[in-house]
This record gives sequence, C-alpha cells and structure tokens, in this order.
Amino acid sequence: MSHFESIDLPERATPRVAKRGADTKLGAFARWAAQAWERATSTRMAGYLLVAPAVLFLAVWFVWPVLTMVHLSLTSRVVDGVSVEGFTLENYVRLFSSDLYFRILLRTVRIALLTSLFAALFAYPLAIAIARGGPTLARLVTITILAPLLVNVVVRSYGWQTILNKTGALAWVLKMFGISNPPVLLYTEWAVLIACVHVYLPFMVMPIAGAIGRIDRSVEEAARVAGATRPAVLTRVILPLSMPGLAVGASLVFSLSAAAYVTPQILGGNFSPLLGTLIEQQILTLNDWPFGAAISTLLIALVLAANLIFLKLVSRRFARWTAGAR
Amino acid sequence: MNETVSLPLKITVGVILALVVAPLLVPVLMSISDTPYIVFPPQGFTLKWYGEVLANPEARGSFLFSLELATIVTAVSLLLGIPCAAGLTRHKVPGQDAVLGLILSPLIVPLIVTGVALLQVFALMGWRSTLTQLVIGHTVVCLPYVIRSVSASLLLVNRNLEDAAAVLGAPPHVVAIKVIWPQVRPGILAGGTFCFIVSFDDYPVSMWLADGNHFPVPLYLYTIVERSFDPSIAAIASLMIFFALLLVLVIEKVFGLSLARLAS
Repeated sequence: MSHFESIDLPERATPRVAKRGADTKLGAFARWAAQAWERATSTRMAGYLLVAPAVLFLAVWFVWPVLTMVHLSLTSRVVDGVSVEGFTLENYVRLFSSDLYFRILLRTVRIALLTSLFAALFAYPLAIAIARGGPTLARLVTITILAPLLVNVVVRSYGWQTILNKTGALAWVLKMFGISNPPVLLYTEWAVLIACVHVYLPFMVMPIAGAIGRIDRSVEEAARVAGATRPAVLTRVILPLSMPGLAVGASLVFSLSAAAYVTPQILGGNFSPLLGTLIEQQILTLNDWPFGAAISTLLIALVLAANLIFLKLVSRRFARWTAGAR
Repeated sequence: MNETVSLPLKITVGVILALVVAPLLVPVLMSISDTPYIVFPPQGFTLKWYGEVLANPEARGSFLFSLELATIVTAVSLLLGIPCAAGLTRHKVPGQDAVLGLILSPLIVPLIVTGVALLQVFALMGWRSTLTQLVIGHTVVCLPYVIRSVSASLLLVNRNLEDAAAVLGAPPHVVAIKVIWPQVRPGILAGGTFCFIVSFDDYPVSMWLADGNHFPVPLYLYTIVERSFDPSIAAIASLMIFFALLLVLVIEKVFGLSLARLAS
C-alpha cells in the first residue's frame, strides 16, 4: 500500500504495539505474515498474484471444459454407435431437421418466454409493495419471496405435484366449488410452466423492486398532481422507468427456465421434456457425446442471445424514453 | 399521496404470497396423513412417516455427505475468492474487465452445461475421484458469488480509517485485524453462507458427477420423489422446509444478515 510509505510512523507508539504482538510465537508469526503480505502487496505484481489462483481455477475447470465441449460438437459425430472424427455440422443439422428434437427446442423457448411473462405479471405488484409499501409490508413480502429460495428445488417441484395431483389440494378446492372433474394438469406443459414461474419468481421480483426503488417519488407525485389516475401512473411512469429491472429479471428468468431440468422432469414427466432432459438422455442413456455437446452448445447460445436481446434492446429503448422525458 | 399502496394492490399481493407459500405448506399438511398414499386433505394424524425418514440410513448418509461437501466447497471458495476480491478492488489489475468477465461467466452458462462439460474433461483425463470432482464442480459455481459479495464489501472499506490507525502506530497486522476485518466481515459471511446454500442445494452439476457412494441430498430427494408415493416423501420435504426456515432464522438472527442482501 504505497500511500502508507510517505507517512512517518511515530517512534513512540510503534514498538509498544509491536512488542505486545511479539510476546507469543503466534504473535511473531502474525507480524511476520503481515509484513510479508505488505511487501508482496506493495509490488506491482500484487494484483496479479492475488487474482491468479481464482482466475487459473476458472480457466482450467470452467473455460477449458466448455471450449472442449463446443469443439467436440463440431469435430465428431456418432454413426451407428461408432464415433467418426473430422469437422462436421451433422450434430446441429440433426438437431434442427429432426421433428422430435426441433419440437423440444421450440417447447423450451416457449416455456422460457411464458415463464418470464407470467413471472413479470406476478412480480410487479410484489415489487411495488416492496419498494413503496411501509417497512412491515416490504419486509413481509421480501422474506416470503426469498425464503423459498432456501428450499431445495426438488422439494418445491414436489410441492406442486401434491397440489396438482388427482387427489391433491387443487382438486379438493375445485370440488368445494362444485367442479368434480378438474382439468388434468400434472404431467403437462401447464404444470411445468406453473412450477417454473413459482421457482424463478424471486429472480424477477428483486431486480424490479430495486428499479422501482430508484424511481424518484416526486415523478409519481408530479404525474398525480397533473391529473394522472393510478393505472396511468403505473403504465406511463412506473412501468417505463422500471424497464432496466425488468430486463435484468427477464434475462435471468429466461436463462434459468430454459436450462431447467428438475422441474420439467418432476412435473412434466416423459411427456414434455425440455433441452436439459434431452442432454441428459443423449449422454447418459444413449452415450452420444457429440450430439449432447451440440445441444449443450445450443443451450448456451440460447441463453447468451436472450441476455443480449433483453439487456441491449431494452436499455436502448430505455435511453430513448428517458431522453424524451427530459 | 401518503397511502402509496392501495387496498386492491394489498389484496393482490396477499393472493400471490399465498400461492408462493402453498407448495411449501401442502406437503407439510400431507406428511401427517395416516394413509399409505398421498391425499388432501390429510386423514387422521400420525408422525410415523417422520420416524421412518429419520431412521433411514440412506437419508442420513446423503445429509451428512451434503454437509461435508458444502463445507469443503465453502472453504475452497473463500480461500480462492477473498484474495481475488482483494486484488480486484485494492490493486490495479491489467485487463480488469476481462478478468471480471471470466469470473462472472459461470453465472451465465447454464449449470447443467457446466456439469456435463466437466464430466467430459474428467472422462478424457480418466480421473476417478468423485469427491474432488464434486468439489471442483461446485466451486466453479460458487466462486463468482463469493468474489462478488466480498468485492462489494471491500469497496465500502474506508481507507481513511486504515491510514488513521497506521498514523497512530498500529502495525499492518493490527490494521488488518482491527480495522479492515470488522468492515469486510459481513461480506465474507454473506458470501460464505450463500456459497454453502448453493452447494448444499445443487442438483444440475451433481447429477453428472455424483456416484452411489457420494450421493448429495438433492439427488436423493429426486430419486425418492420418482420412485415412492407414500407420505414419507412429504415428511422428507417437510423436514427440508423446516431446515430452510431454521436457516432463515440463523442467517437473520445469528449472522445479522438480511436475506435481501444475500440474494442481491
């Protein structure tokens, strides 16, 4: 820390503190370690040295594996159970030309988009309550939204199974209203959608609540004074100004639900698999690594595309809106 | 405009919160049903399903293994993450943006893909050490959270206090322990806690790397949800929910962290 060096430490104070530290072997060690640390951190290499272990770890155990996988999807294909080497786009062609696989891809995108949409619809009232409600209400909503994150996703999905079951809670509630033939939801796309919205809702609520919290209250008051009704304030002030939060939430929820595995498996059964299930089947059941690698690469591309679209488009539009408002 | 939250909004919020809580409450209700199958509303009252679960050696084995795994992962992540956060916030690291991008990239790539990519390179290397592989996989996922959380608290450290302590004669290790540590403690605690939870709850990475002798809780829960239909699953689910509530209490009361801070 170079800015220390220009300061002369008072002679009187230093030895007293240092001696107390040196009384024990542990103290001597601590002093030695701290001095060594200080020497190391005052060099220009210090930043590198501190950052290096984590960066190396991620380069070896994250970047390298992912690149290896992308490489595999382009250089190998399985024909009649035997893998053939050499550059190929076969794995990707198969993914898009086969009706079965293409339907799974479409279903994944559909579920991810619908999950983001419904999560946003449910998130706004909650986010407004967190950002604009009194402290008690805000705290109640925050804890109720976040606490389920600590409950394992298998348990949360199972919870929906107990509700949507033929002898479950929903059927019982509907029977009270005189509907004795409740719609079958379990093991359909609807069940997957409902559970995904529930599981990923917190990731939508928190960014939107943050964005609403940053809106200057006087903007809303000005709109009210100028005669805007409550719905008008919501759609023409809060909604546009909270777009950055919505963009973050939507890209998070889209990414998480597109890659969901547990929830579709438990609630969709074998009838509505998503890409995650397809990867698992290709690799663990059929042992077709190159094709599994191609689906994985596509899933990464899907998530990256969603992030770019949500964040870039919405932030550009947001810039235009705020520019117009000034 | 004092009343910013109108009554219709309050009612809407109430209904949504009820829907959020329902899938956690229903299994708890069903777990006390004295029937050999799942039924709502529960019939009779029994705690025998809880007894069965607690006496089950597989369930206990998985729970202990997950605790062990999450503890190791948290230790490794803090060991790698704290110096990295210090380097990024207190020193000029050339190519800082690239480094940050690399560190946060595991948060973007789907976990299921991270897991399968790791399985592939482990297979290429012909390496069979399940515990180490699980620790590596979980650390890849947890490290970004730790670095983000610790960096955030390091950025808030008041450098003037350090200078003041040094001027008054405190040697560097005393400054580190008495001045810097109290200021970064909440960030390290939050990062470590979050890391522990993420590792303990991970399914999509473990599903590729685990084996029968190293079987984390989420995988165990999944297998019993798939294969059995009596209320003992509801009992396990309830135990996990109680465990999560306990965790909320520990985080809020003992550690003095708010849940909102953990999630941000």
